[in-house]
Amino acid sequence: MQIKIVIGTIAFMLTMMVFGYSALREPARLERFTNAELGRSIEAGGHIFANNCATCHGVDGTAEACFDAAGNQIACQGLPLNFNGLLCGEPSQRMTDMGWNGTKAAYVLTTVSAGRGPIMPTWSEQFGGPLREDQVRDVTNFVLNWESETLCAAPVITYDWPETADEFLARTDEVEPGDPTRGAELYALTYGCQACHGTLDGLVPAALGPSLLEIETDGATRVEGMDAATYVYHSILFPSDHIAPECPTGPCAGPPSAMPANFGARMGENPQDMADILAVLLGE
Amino acid sequence: MATFVEQVREMGIKQAVVTKADEVVERVTAGMNINDVRAALRGDEPRRPNPRLRPHADGFWLHIRPSFYHTGVTNIYPTFRLGWLSTFMLIWETITGLILMVFYTPSPLVAYSNMWNILGNVPLGQLFRNMHRLGAEVMVLVVAMHMLRTFITGSYKKPRQFTWATGMLLLVFTIFLSFSGYLLPWDQLAYWALTVFISGGAAAPAPAFVNDTVLLVLQGGPALGANGLLRWYLLHVLLLPLLAGIFFFVHYYKVVLYGISLPPGREQIGEDTAKRVPQGERTYFIPDILTSELMWTALATLFLVAGALWLWDAPLETHADPVVTPLHVVAPWYLSWSQGWLKLAPKTAVVGFIPLLLVAFIVMPYFEVGKSRRYADRRVGLTVAMLFIAFMLVSNWMGSPEFRVTSSPDREVSIHLLPEEGPGGLKGIPFDHMTPGTYVPGQVIDGNPFLTRGLAVFEEAMHEQSCTLVGNEMWQECTVTTLESGAKSYSNRFTDVAMPDPVATLEIVEIQPNLKEMTLHYQVADPENPNEMLIDTPWTAFRHAFSNYEEECQFLNKSCAIN
Ligand code: HEC
Ligand code: HEC
Ligand code: HEM
Repeated sequence: MQIKIVIGTIAFMLTMMVFGYSALREPARLERFTNAELGRSIEAGGHIFANNCATCHGVDGTAEACFDAAGNQIACQGLPLNFNGLLCGEPSQRMTDMGWNGTKAAYVLTTVSAGRGPIMPTWSEQFGGPLREDQVRDVTNFVLNWESETLCAAPVITYDWPETADEFLARTDEVEPGDPTRGAELYALTYGCQACHGTLDGLVPAALGPSLLEIETDGATRVEGMDAATYVYHSILFPSDHIAPECPTGPCAGPPSAMPANFGARMGENPQDMADILAVLLGE
Repeated sequence: MATFVEQVREMGIKQAVVTKADEVVERVTAGMNINDVRAALRGDEPRRPNPRLRPHADGFWLHIRPSFYHTGVTNIYPTFRLGWLSTFMLIWETITGLILMVFYTPSPLVAYSNMWNILGNVPLGQLFRNMHRLGAEVMVLVVAMHMLRTFITGSYKKPRQFTWATGMLLLVFTIFLSFSGYLLPWDQLAYWALTVFISGGAAAPAPAFVNDTVLLVLQGGPALGANGLLRWYLLHVLLLPLLAGIFFFVHYYKVVLYGISLPPGREQIGEDTAKRVPQGERTYFIPDILTSELMWTALATLFLVAGALWLWDAPLETHADPVVTPLHVVAPWYLSWSQGWLKLAPKTAVVGFIPLLLVAFIVMPYFEVGKSRRYADRRVGLTVAMLFIAFMLVSNWMGSPEFRVTSSPDREVSIHLLPEEGPGGLKGIPFDHMTPGTYVPGQVIDGNPFLTRGLAVFEEAMHEQSCTLVGNEMWQECTVTTLESGAKSYSNRFTDVAMPDPVATLEIVEIQPNLKEMTLHYQVADPENPNEMLIDTPWTAFRHAFSNYEEECQFLNKSCAIN
């Protein structure tokens, strides 16, 4: 019997030591698991994004490369999400523009949950969408995870765009005269203008932004003292500065504009694109 | 009696305190004073009348315990302490379960994040979760072993038939307790194991409306959802523990009533001497049985705590998804046999057979009325039991994930390397060693043993699923058979649906800060028509730097092909 008391006491003390040992490791372990929860949520979000969002927001979230189910490239309809205007800073530029006072995570989460405008769908089951709450959280974590030092260090606009279209087109050492054929291609696919503004032959009507078929004449009437070329030029670079009056679903919303604000940055890498798009829109 | 103040006046403060303490101890133990306790601990003979019997007679806690045992049943054999251990596990599960309950809400909206909260936010939360879940599995095992031992020693025979019958009920409750707890984390593992079993239960040989109603009641709707989770939660924390508790006391009351049966060789055939214990053969509960039980309590606790910390880790898969059926729905091991049976017989037959088997077990002692409990006289019974156990083990193996229907060869490789759940062959590679690039199976990466090992696993997996028509040394020779449809099928030593001369790659790309995308790509040209692709599929998985799959590879119950 005495030996049993001894064994029992030792076992009890060992148990307490095991508890003590695991309690010592606890802070580090708790942190690892908190991180793992986030990490796995982002992983799950990656799958959800690829399956649901990439068709509009692009495979890498920059709204530059979108594909349909058969693998053909199509115009991107969504805004860039892997984008410093949206993700950098708290509040980010986009949040300030939208008058959002909550956190960045809440901005993305509510937009994804409820959807916005005629194209961005409602995703949360709560509002009749297809995704469960946890899936909305996962894809939100994934989107937020694009924020990085590289993304946020890059200037929003790299090219030094001049004030007016004429000044820009006059930089003949940098841009050649616009090529409408290439411009049409850029309009349809590369920049996906067509997804919102409809096709240039008018067969597919505009969905989100105004039809641009008459823009070479309408453009001159929009803003006092701006010719059509400069108005289009300016609208591409700074969509929120001037809001068009009529959109397909009623008066255009904004500012901020529902048109992506990163074309200036994207075209800055190859300013010739701007010249070509101006050529096709203004029929020069 | 004199008040304390009077006592102090009478005998001085010191003596009065001692007297008072003695009195308190005697009250708490319901009859033993300090000297009696010390004498018991020293192993001295008790004084007369024996104060060590009083806690049994007057105390609440010990009134259900016998005051002495037959010395013949106090050794490891014949009980192996298994009934005691079952009781210990029941209490263990109750305590750890109550602690987990504090952090758990039975709602599909939060149940899964509650689990992560327990793991990542509650101090010692993971340890308690592991203790509870390990305890649940150990308890099933222990109860089954206890049943086996009472069978082998013939303890179910007259007069203990009813003890056996209540024991069978306890077994059923134990399994259901374990299984109902399975659902609560609300992950894929839980959700689909339950879904499969509930739908199985609703395939009973009964009129359709009965089955439909059963299904509806158990799922709480057309599919498992909020109502279903609440129901299984209430079963798990309320109804089943209550039933198990009640029947435990019935069971134990009978055990005390008839006494634990002596080893079969120690009594005459047909006699039951357990209750007639000669003076010299008595082992008193206080102090011997009590210290023994305390020792085993300490040892079992140590084992479970240490096991939960170092050996075994409760699984947590991805969030339950009612629309995505995992490739392999895994039943808990203690129910695998039923999945094995489904491969032997039609579902309705199996589902109808199980309750019959249960009833047969319950009533068995009333029909098996052979007088002798001795092994030599029970050759038939023991043989049948052994055959039954063997059959259950084989069934269990047949129902286990190893014995499963295979899907397409490229999927088999993908599942092995980048499974939907857990680390698999590639996700266990430390994040920093997943160097972006494109790799082929078996490639050796200098200075990167982890990735090299991963690619070796890739090659092994490909080897089983591939064959060659053109003498490629990497793969085995193809055996070509022409199917009735005119199509050709290619097989190797392992599979009938091998990939002929596949080109497979692993591509690793860093797509976000701390997030890498791993894509396995398989291309197999049709040997009959090289312009057509038989297989051209990618399989993608993501791996975040924080996801910490490495840690999962350290436990006995988690496989990680990398190690
Ligand atoms: C059918 C195309 C489409 C799909 C699919 C789509 N979106 Fe959108 N998304 C849009 C459009 C268009 C907008 C701009 C809406 C507006 O502001 O009017 C947008 C806006 C957003 C915004 C706000 C961006 C900002 O800068 O304000 C977020 C965040 C977003 N989407 C995330 C997602 C996620 C996550 C998914 C997948 C679950 C998704 N989207 C799927 C078209 C789509
Ligand atoms: C995500 C949808 C979307 C995409 C893509 C898009 N736009 Fe727009 N665009 C709009 C919306 C909405 C408006 C109206 C609000 C405004 O004026 O900012 C608009 C306005 C315009 C206007 C002013 C029209 C007017 O009638 O005043 C021009 C010009 C324009 N966009 C050109 C382009 C070009 C060129 C591209 C491609 C490089 C493009 N847009 C891509 C949504 C889009
Ligand atoms: C929760 C589950 C169970 C608990 C807590 C439990 C508890 C106990 C205890 C404490 C004893 C006395 C000590 C011992 O014999 O080891 C006992 C005896 C017994 N149990 Fe169980 N038991 C359980 C399940 C079962 C099962 C599944 C069976 C068989 C179907 C069973 C059949 C018996 C029998 C026949 C005895 C009498 C043994 C004898 O007198 O030698 N019990 N049980």
